[in-house]
Amino acid sequence: MKSDFSCLFAGEAGYGVMSAGSTVAKAAGRNNLWAFVVNEYPSLIKGGLNTCLVRLAAAPLQAHEEAIDCLAVLSQEGLEQNYSRLQPGGCLIADVSLAVDSSRLAEGVRVYQQPLLQKGSGDVAKIMSNSAMLGAFCAVSGFPVDLIEAVLAGEFKPEVFEKNRLLLRAAYETASQQTAAAAFSLPFAPPPAKRMLLNGNDAIAMGALQAGCKFSAGYPMTPGSSVLTYLADNGPAFGLVFKQAEDEIAAINMLIGAGFAGVRAIGSTSGGGFALMAEALGFAALAEVPLVMVNAQRGGPSTGQPTRTAQADLAFVLNASQGEFLRIVVAPGDIEECFQETFRAFNLAEKYQLPVIILTDKYLADSAATHPFFQTEGLAVERGKLADAAWLAAHQPYKRYEFTPDGVSARALPGTGGGRHIATSYTHGEDGFYSSGNREYAGCEPEVTVRALDKLFAKEPPILEELEAVRLYGPETADLTMVVWGSTKGAALEAMELAKGAGISVNVLQVLYLSPFPAAAVAEILGRSTQTLLVEGNKTAQLGGLVRMHTGIHLANRYLKYDSRAFTPSQILLKIKEVLA
Amino acid sequence: MSAHDANLAYVPTWCPGCGNFGIFNALKKAFAALELDLEQTVLVNGIGCSSKIGQYINCYRIETLHGRSLPVATGVKLANHGLTVIAEGGDGDGMGLGMGHFVHTARRNLDISYFIHNNQVYGLTKGQTSPTSEPGMFTKFTPPPVGNVERPVNIVDMAISLGASFVARAYTGNMDHLADMMAQAIRHRGFAVVDILQPCVSFNAVNTYAWYQQRVRSIPSSHDPSDREKAKALAGLWGDEIPVGVFLREKRPTFADSLPQLTDGPLTAQPLTGIDISELMEDLA
Ligand SMILES: Cc1ncc(C[n+]2csc(CCOP(=O)(O)OP(=O)(O)O)c2C)c(N)n1
Ligand code: SF4
Repeated sequence: MKSDFSCLFAGEAGYGVMSAGSTVAKAAGRNNLWAFVVNEYPSLIKGGLNTCLVRLAAAPLQAHEEAIDCLAVLSQEGLEQNYSRLQPGGCLIADVSLAVDSSRLAEGVRVYQQPLLQKGSGDVAKIMSNSAMLGAFCAVSGFPVDLIEAVLAGEFKPEVFEKNRLLLRAAYETASQQTAAAAFSLPFAPPPAKRMLLNGNDAIAMGALQAGCKFSAGYPMTPGSSVLTYLADNGPAFGLVFKQAEDEIAAINMLIGAGFAGVRAIGSTSGGGFALMAEALGFAALAEVPLVMVNAQRGGPSTGQPTRTAQADLAFVLNASQGEFLRIVVAPGDIEECFQETFRAFNLAEKYQLPVIILTDKYLADSAATHPFFQTEGLAVERGKLADAAWLAAHQPYKRYEFTPDGVSARALPGTGGGRHIATSYTHGEDGFYSSGNREYAGCEPEVTVRALDKLFAKEPPILEELEAVRLYGPETADLTMVVWGSTKGAALEAMELAKGAGISVNVLQVLYLSPFPAAAVAEILGRSTQTLLVEGNKTAQLGGLVRMHTGIHLANRYLKYDSRAFTPSQILLKIKEVLA
Repeated sequence: MSAHDANLAYVPTWCPGCGNFGIFNALKKAFAALELDLEQTVLVNGIGCSSKIGQYINCYRIETLHGRSLPVATGVKLANHGLTVIAEGGDGDGMGLGMGHFVHTARRNLDISYFIHNNQVYGLTKGQTSPTSEPGMFTKFTPPPVGNVERPVNIVDMAISLGASFVARAYTGNMDHLADMMAQAIRHRGFAVVDILQPCVSFNAVNTYAWYQQRVRSIPSSHDPSDREKAKALAGLWGDEIPVGVFLREKRPTFADSLPQLTDGPLTAQPLTGIDISELMEDLA
């Protein structure tokens, strides 16, 4: 028996294929199944092919597969592009208007056509089409139609729901009369505890709110924007102010102003926006203002591919801005890490008074998965060395940038008595004064310059000490160690399980924190590996380069994917077999 | 707080005779006149000779990037709207790199005062054209025989058009008047712009003290600053007569006034613990 089931909903933008997918995913999640939902859409407002893939299983999922068991299509384009993905014995649901070429279908695919596209004009007809599609989907796949109805009931106003319910039922009845439903092989049951359906960006925004973030500023750029949308929408109830800025440069500088004033602040963007923020990133680092920034990668270079995924900004994010300074770069690999590491990012930014960059990508940012409720107990806010008036009274004259062994000095927030100081983008000494702009400093400029830079890097050892920067999954030693970062983790972990099923012993090394680079931990694990495979979503093996630079280890076997789509477990398994052959 | 108290041990590095000295003294005077609590005051600078002023004033200060004082000031003000926030910088800083921010900050009417040291040239980079340079002016980047061929930005006119709710102009050669304009701007609730005419003795041979002395004229006391149209007409004057004084003063709600999140006090005073996101999780169930 197959342990998972994938259905692809496809149609023109505006016909609700994405909401059809999330309805199925929600219904499944509420009934003890786990879903993973991948949306693909061009950067078009109207028209163009949208697809929504829903993969269901009895155990948590963190990746999709290309192969599908069911295809429900509302447009010819959706059909043409996906014939080959439909597995033998699968089912095809298509609107009557579409021309189905049976010769392109795998063996045993049951074709089912009925009117799905609703007549009439406007968006209402479009939205109704997906209810019809869902009805037919239930009849043909055997997914219980009651479960779908229950989700829709919570989603619509009563009148709208009734219209959709009638359509859902009618389409279900018509389809049921003409097809014997394939028994849906996954077991439905009441869930032991409530689960959510959410994507990486939702998780980041929730992590920020949990961390006490009260300010956000940004400029829209796919796929980073939805963090901002979430905060603009849900933030006010938590006392958060979101400001849409005139551009990304303004946005990051607003965040720096807010951080200097003492609130926790977050921004989110994608590569192009992050590029505009580069100068200010160094400003935050040198002025030692806490800053949390999300870069949700999309295809590049330049404006690249707004709605497609890539892992190609790593080298850029690690090096963005002039000069040398320390930054923390974390690349969560799944929804849980999006939440946990965002919470931690705020603590790190304040404790070490530096920029923290959360590096995700379209696949993680935008794909939704069924997930247990986040555990929030034990999450403690740590604000680091904040100087209050009493401390300041005992430490006069106050030196904002006092040289300390761990590089961190007490931060006084504006409004605090005795803490007046200058925070500056110029290289400065302990009291914040400019190294070359003042005659008083001219004589000791070389010393001040060196100490100022050393101060920034003095934070590195305690950070490396504090962070569990790498994670090893699977057996301690294996025939092959996969090396991954970011969203590739999900597919790699599943590939590891597939490999195990095929009698191959594999483990996965995830580099969670890419800066400061956990060289010792990576070297230690790779030192034990007999064979390695680097898996990352770019052309130039950016993590591979980092590993080599920091450890001298050359990862010769590489599976690099830069075709605008994410890795799948099966694809990775093929590579593993190739390497071990 | 006395004016002296506002001074730091560091000696300004401006060229002898630079108009920035007058602005510096006027700012200290304004602070003293307002009896500003310097612990509650944040001065936000850009980069340039003018922006160095923050290095010599003893309040909380953040010396930002070139052109970025206003978004940083915006962040400070939204984070803690109880603070007095003043942004300061040059005409290059504010009207060149920072122009976009100026446009949008004015639209927002945040309670920030913005003092522009307008020397019609880039000082710190040693004498290039600025967006306020006179046509025909010779600079390092616009050498003879052609010189500058672009029309200058009229800061006062722009500020009025964009929605600043207090707009004034002053001349560094008249310190008392300048200090008064600054004090009025700081006291004003809303975005307050003061265009400060400032000779650069090293790189601007056109707009000298003598040049200004001949042209600067007080706005007649008959001018009603609540009259936007009159203020615009007055702002259009530039040449043999350059009006100084308050062009516009408008009572309008500030950006922060419209945010319910700020009614319980500043964001910086909100607790970071005891946050319960279970409702957000329920929403996604
Ligand atoms: C991004 C960036 N570009 C250029 C500079 C160099 N720069 C420093 S000050 C300045 C111009 C200053 O002119 P203005 O703002 O008019 O101030 P002034 O020095 O005349 O007071 C420039 C271009 C910089 N620091 N940063
Ligand atoms: S260059 Fe001009 S603006 Fe700068 S300090 Fe000298 S006189 Fe003043």
